[in-house]
Amino acid sequence: MHIDFSDELQAFRREVGEFLDAAPTAAIREAGKKTTSVFAPFKEVMEWHRILHAKGWSAPAWPVEHGGTGWSVEQRYIFAEEHWKRDLPPLLPNGLQMVGPLIMELGTEEQKRRYLPGILSGEDYWTQGYSEPNAGSDLASLACSAVSDGDDYVINGQKIWTTLAHEANRMFMLVRTSREARKQAGITFLLLDRMDYPGMVVRPIVGLDGLVEQCEVFFDNVRVPKSGRVGAENDGWSVAKQLLKHERGGTALSPMLRRKMTLIQQAVRSAPSPNGGVLADDPVFQRDLGEIEAELVSYEAYERMILTNHPIGSDPGMPSLNKIMSTELTQQLGALQVRVAGLWAVPSQVNALTVASGIDPIGDMFDLTAMPFYLNARATSIYAGTNEIQRDLLARTLHAA
Amino acid sequence: MDFTFTEEQVMLRDAMSRLLGQHYDFDQRQQIVHSSAGRSERVWRQFRDMGLLHAPFPEAVGGFGGKASDLVLLAELLGEHLVVEPYLPSILLTGRALARVDGHAGALGWLERLMEGSALGALAHEEGHGTADITRIATELIPTDDGLLLNGEKRLVLGGTDADVLLVTARLPDGALAMLLVDPTLRGVGMECYSTIDGRRAANIRFENVRLAPDALIQSNADKAIQDIVHDALLALSAEAVGAMAALLTASVQYAGTRKQFGVPISSFQAIAHRLADMKLAYVKARSTLFYTAALIESGRAEPRDYSLLKAQAGRLGRAIAESAVQIHGGVGTTDEVSVGHHLKRILAIEAMFGPSEYHLRLVGASSVSAASAAPRREAMEA
Ligand SMILES: Cc1cc2nc3c(=O)[nH]c(=O)nc-3n(C[C@H](O)[C@H](O)[C@H](O)COP(=O)(O)OP(=O)(O)OC[C@H]3O[C@@H](n4cnc5c(N)ncnc54)[C@H](O)[C@@H]3O)c2cc1C
Repeated sequence: MHIDFSDELQAFRREVGEFLDAAPTAAIREAGKKTTSVFAPFKEVMEWHRILHAKGWSAPAWPVEHGGTGWSVEQRYIFAEEHWKRDLPPLLPNGLQMVGPLIMELGTEEQKRRYLPGILSGEDYWTQGYSEPNAGSDLASLACSAVSDGDDYVINGQKIWTTLAHEANRMFMLVRTSREARKQAGITFLLLDRMDYPGMVVRPIVGLDGLVEQCEVFFDNVRVPKSGRVGAENDGWSVAKQLLKHERGGTALSPMLRRKMTLIQQAVRSAPSPNGGVLADDPVFQRDLGEIEAELVSYEAYERMILTNHPIGSDPGMPSLNKIMSTELTQQLGALQVRVAGLWAVPSQVNALTVASGIDPIGDMFDLTAMPFYLNARATSIYAGTNEIQRDLLARTLHAA
Repeated sequence: MDFTFTEEQVMLRDAMSRLLGQHYDFDQRQQIVHSSAGRSERVWRQFRDMGLLHAPFPEAVGGFGGKASDLVLLAELLGEHLVVEPYLPSILLTGRALARVDGHAGALGWLERLMEGSALGALAHEEGHGTADITRIATELIPTDDGLLLNGEKRLVLGGTDADVLLVTARLPDGALAMLLVDPTLRGVGMECYSTIDGRRAANIRFENVRLAPDALIQSNADKAIQDIVHDALLALSAEAVGAMAALLTASVQYAGTRKQFGVPISSFQAIAHRLADMKLAYVKARSTLFYTAALIESGRAEPRDYSLLKAQAGRLGRAIAESAVQIHGGVGTTDEVSVGHHLKRILAIEAMFGPSEYHLRLVGASSVSAASAAPRREAMEA
């Protein structure tokens, strides 16, 4: 056993670092520093996506034939580390990690030709249209219907929590095409090549942090071509399950969490303790920081074992273990950041948080991002399968074994 | 022992509760928050007409009593209804501090105006990332030949944006603390105004060589007076947090009982049922501590550690309840459109003000250790 990266990888690390130092524009850097969610500021992160694509680095996890980098697991980990160290905006997951790999696996040749290049290059952004007001955890009960009419489907109903739908130009979605059999058996998976079909209306939703990230999408007799279907009609549930595998694997999360910890460690050197002196010297704070550091190291260890195909990572409970651990840690780090910022986390600073607003924050970047990050992180235990549902799934794998 | 409210108190609470129910439901509250003033003159007049601006003061200055239990019952309702009117800064903090000042004509004059509702006051006390410990006040007040010179910076002055008068805490050259009244329009007073995450207007206020007349100083040797303000703040903020917890619990029970997934109300899932049970446990702990502390205060038995203990419980248990409430509401809970997230944000702001839980818990721990070593060791003596 050893934890070192080989010597050749040090050269790779330098090469990555040099590019990441030189390539981003000022706006992209600002957007990265102001990222308080999985979803970085849209305009700038897509610009960064296109720059990385020009370098050939937009999709490290993709196969080379589709434009991937051909990097090893270690190289991808190093890339993520170097990327986070510089506070650059993380590329949005929906295309690269979700619908892209799904199209490679299950899409038609025509769909691959038509959609993969735009996902790779960052020309397109895909929103995910699964959830509905009455179909959250019980996703299979979704009701938004698609009725077959010649070469088209006619869609009626509503989606909600479609992240960044107001910025997206495409959508992948689940629709109900049959009510006859089991509810899972009447669902179809569709790719929509536009967001501006007649009858489609997007309504943004303001989040706890005062920012718009989520949306509702309404469909009123929206006619879309059947050529966007993935898999067979009424077989969309298994398509979605296949996609879930991509959604939950492939990227390293711990470099992001480690970066957050580093920012906290830096901030406490000057942040005053309510007991006098700075927090870094306050034994009460040290103890609490120690607890979260220990949790972080445990998660880093686990994630590296998953990425290096250690048997501990092939446990059937892995996706749930990974989801629960990473999201609870994100929330703990958010709470810690708010505690360090103290009173300075209390001003509402939506304008200063907006990229290129030119508005100076009250406090510094750490104080500015503390509360929005904490508030946004509340959602991490809700999306992608709530942590209650994940604990159910995890418990079930124990009995199945 | 009696931890109940008097009949008059119950009447006052019911009246205020009705008023807020009619004029301060969540939608009305959001309209007020988003209005240009960020508060409602109309509601303030209604508060005045109902006597709420007089209620938390001793009879000697024209109030209705001003006991700890009065603060508790008023503040609980403010918390439950997410009230953003400047009741805490103007009435509970500035007003009550002025009422305790002896024989200063200026202070009494302002107090009258605050109680009439014809002026607003704000407390400019906290500095840096928070000033729970009053020995850390750094704002300087220097006596000069013709008056006083004030220098320093205060943070998160609630209601500071449109206060007619500021109650400022500062340190004199000999180290003693002082309390003074400052006209915010004076030269050298700089305000950075903003809204807070919990829908209030506040300011960071910088005093740069502000020249004040001698009678601006309403109290020197003000350590006890300032500690009294902090204690009022701890009690009122904790009561607000407890009121917020009540609202969070009610909203969550109701949501979980009506929201269906997998064909059944989500309250039928044990994970949710136990979460609700834990919320109830937290609420009952916090509210019992609140009433108990009020009774200690009214019996003249409250020590600083009792206020700290209450604030720590309100902050910790409050955050736990609020985070659970968001989780139970699922995606809906992460939006600005329902009240639970706003209660969460209020509780986080309360946690940040006048010292976080960890600060107060440490004080409680330190004081219980010293209490134990001071007490006679009974077992040893009996043996
Ligand atoms: C920030 C964010 C981004 C999202 N992005 C997208 C997106 O891009 N596309 C998309 O389609 N969806 C998205 N979602 C939706 C997300 O998948 C749902 O919010 C999630 O599935 C939960 O559904 P719900 O919100 O309806 O909560 P509900 O399912 O109503 O759950 C409410 C509460 O009940 C609990 N509960 C439910 N069932 C059970 C059970 N059987 N046992 C125990 N507890 C249970 C839940 O854990 C939760 O605490 C997003 C959500 C958020 C918050």
